[in-house]
Amino acid sequence: MTDDPNRIEIKDVSFSYDISDENSTRAPRPALDGISVTIGKGSYTAFLGSNGSGKSTLAKIIDILEVPDSGRVVIFGKDAGDDDLFWDIRSQCCCVFQNPDNQIVGTMIEEDVAFGPENLGVPNPELRERVDQALKDVGLYELRHRETMALSGGQKQKLAIAGALAMRPDILILDEATAMLDPASRDDFLALVEKMRIEKGLTLITITHDMTEALRCDKLVIINKGKVAMEGSPEEIFMSEDLWQYGLKRPVKFNFAFEIAKLTGNKLTKEDLRSDEALLERLTLMLGKPGIKMPDAIPEGKKRTDDREIIMEVKGLSYSYDGNDTKAIDNIDLDIRKGEVLGIVGDSGCGKTTLISHMNAIIRPVTGDVIIHTEDGDLSCRNKKDTMKIRQNVGLVFQYPEYQLFEETVYKDILYGLKKMNVSKDEQKKLVMEAAEKVGLKERELNASPFELSGGQKRRAAMAGVLVMRPKILVLDEPASGLDPRGRQEMFAIIKGLAESGTTIILVSHNMDEAAVNCDRICLINKGKIKAVGTPEELFEKGRSEELGVQMPRITRFSDLLRSRLAEACPGITFEGRYFEPENEARVIVAAASKAGGSDAR
Amino acid sequence: MLDKISIGRYYPAHSFLHDTDPRIKTILYAVYLVAIFMIKEPLAIGILAAIVIVQLILAKVTPGILWSTVKPMIPLALFIFIINVLTIRQGDAIFSWKMITVTWYGISRAAIMSVRLIFLIVSTSVLLTLTTTPLKMSDALEKLFAPLQIIKIPVHEMSMMMSIAIRFIPTLAAETDKIMKAQQSRGANYDTGSFINKVRGYITVLIPLFVSSFRRADELAIAMDARCYRGGKGRTKLNPLKMTVRDVLTGIVFTLSAVLVVVIDLSLR
Repeated sequence: MTDDPNRIEIKDVSFSYDISDENSTRAPRPALDGISVTIGKGSYTAFLGSNGSGKSTLAKIIDILEVPDSGRVVIFGKDAGDDDLFWDIRSQCCCVFQNPDNQIVGTMIEEDVAFGPENLGVPNPELRERVDQALKDVGLYELRHRETMALSGGQKQKLAIAGALAMRPDILILDEATAMLDPASRDDFLALVEKMRIEKGLTLITITHDMTEALRCDKLVIINKGKVAMEGSPEEIFMSEDLWQYGLKRPVKFNFAFEIAKLTGNKLTKEDLRSDEALLERLTLMLGKPGIKMPDAIPEGKKRTDDREIIMEVKGLSYSYDGNDTKAIDNIDLDIRKGEVLGIVGDSGCGKTTLISHMNAIIRPVTGDVIIHTEDGDLSCRNKKDTMKIRQNVGLVFQYPEYQLFEETVYKDILYGLKKMNVSKDEQKKLVMEAAEKVGLKERELNASPFELSGGQKRRAAMAGVLVMRPKILVLDEPASGLDPRGRQEMFAIIKGLAESGTTIILVSHNMDEAAVNCDRICLINKGKIKAVGTPEELFEKGRSEELGVQMPRITRFSDLLRSRLAEACPGITFEGRYFEPENEARVIVAAASKAGGSDAR
Repeated sequence: MLDKISIGRYYPAHSFLHDTDPRIKTILYAVYLVAIFMIKEPLAIGILAAIVIVQLILAKVTPGILWSTVKPMIPLALFIFIINVLTIRQGDAIFSWKMITVTWYGISRAAIMSVRLIFLIVSTSVLLTLTTTPLKMSDALEKLFAPLQIIKIPVHEMSMMMSIAIRFIPTLAAETDKIMKAQQSRGANYDTGSFINKVRGYITVLIPLFVSSFRRADELAIAMDARCYRGGKGRTKLNPLKMTVRDVLTGIVFTLSAVLVVVIDLSLR
């Protein structure tokens, strides 16, 4: 049998991590279970699946970072089982991983880019030429003598790409490479990757939890429990109703479109999903027909919160870090109302984390102050004596809180904060159970070591460790980062539950869609200053995007396109309100179309 | 916060010492280490200080950077000073109260000890860490200790380990800061309370820090594997070490000056 030199072929591959490996504790089943995948040369493929589905393992098999227990892997006609071809295959395949810090070897930018080709034994002057070319390709050439640690997250990922390009690979694998980037850096990064793909003829494989990102690919492979669950073009895959069981969902705009189709009694086809243009045209046709049934009214959701009493006041807060001239935050004034969900939104490095670190006096205010209004009087973050009281009132959950777990059992870890307070043993137990229930942890998990839990469970355990002190205000920094779509949804359900039980929530995020759906008010921060504060409807009104310098939520961007189409097709159509949940926004659009009575009404 | 950890950091600049062959700098460092611990006389210390200042100028190290390197070591220097003052009881007492006796001899010895420590830090910084990237340093050590490979010492691996350790200092410092803040949010207290309580407080930082270091090590190993790292065999270098006449002359001049300082010191005793 001859192997096709234009394909990556994975046949019946099985793989289990060693028992001694830390990954094995959460996956007693094989990571890959007789999987077969074929990838064409020069194609752009995404591996999708829930956390722990085996998609990263599959990528590692392609780069022979893991050797399959059984089955065959052939990369462009070369058998990966052949020891003589080992380095040959590995050098033609490069990976960019999720955490930028954990893949940089060099202290200086150019040293780091050179690391790969140096390992390959590329001689000078070719080595120098490769490094310079790779740095120019990603736009870091000017910075080549700088320290790698001085780069931003987005730049570090570009550096990783440069390190890969310098090895002159045929295959580039992105293993959740955009997961830690904000939307602007993410778009920038993906544009770069796609440009390189075309210029260098790369075969691109991406692993992502971002469904909209997956739309850029030629082919999607859905992996579940170490097997291929579905395979096909994005439009084929996103036609399916079964995505949820694999921890996935449709991209927001498709959810929205399917909802409109359902409400108007139509069906979308694969062809409709092929491009935005096709989809808009089809939706306009659907909505332009006369006699569309009026959808049910939208259930009352968000209430205005600006008339409620103030629970926390940020007054004239400025801060700059040691040895840094620019202010991390600059004259911030912000009122937080009792029981609201306030979103703090902005790009990486805009000062969000600095701001929230002031809210429970982890950073003590130097200029300005944060006042917390409680039943027992006002607490000032400037006042050292109030510190413990403030920290009981304001719970702060940092990004990736699972990295702070340390006790032998989850129960003890949750209890930790309480031990500093005057609480009886019985009361302690009651509070721990209550906190665990709020985040959906079960008795069995409470007695386990925190390090045995899955990623999502660890995060909940860490959150419970803050909730146990019954904070009146809960500050959450990117609570859903790194989770798969199902995990994200579950996390936001937990947050919603907390908000409904009366906790004031401050939610830091760079995901506009999630902020718009989950927050009563949003505070936009740019370069340490407040750019705007308002309800999501006020902020994401049509045409404010440029003024505010932010990307609109994806649903708003797509819905705005549809709204202008409809305005052309049915003159006089009026839309009442703007929503960010696909179901509700679909109802607004359908209701407007129903009232307009079709495009022939003129 | 990263800026607080300045020991072991590289200072990116173009200077005479930055361009000097790291092998020469490593050898010079060894020479100065010996010199620093041999001299006792104030005049010799003065001359050594002058030489170190010349080196600082050659490295374009500004007083600010120098201060940030020395600052963290000042408490230790003071500690050494006080311990020495209190424990050296030779010579005439100038002050005596109960158990405590302070002598001029003790003060001068203590001062020399502390000054040595400061010199040690400054020399390490100016000759090695501030002016040499960790990868270059590991190159130099690998070359200098290459003969040890004959007796099966894994010189390349050891130097690689060292350079990675240095590369991760700022990353782990930032991580420590993050974990401390997270635990403080849960009521941990690192500043007040009894000694036992403080130690307990640090456990809440150390365990997560260890766990995360192992995770990082794991991920880094995979990333290095993916970039075809397979030990020192067959590796090429983007900037291969090249010893020039200038490097050799630099080595000779600074070695001779160190020898001169030691000779002066010995002749004064």
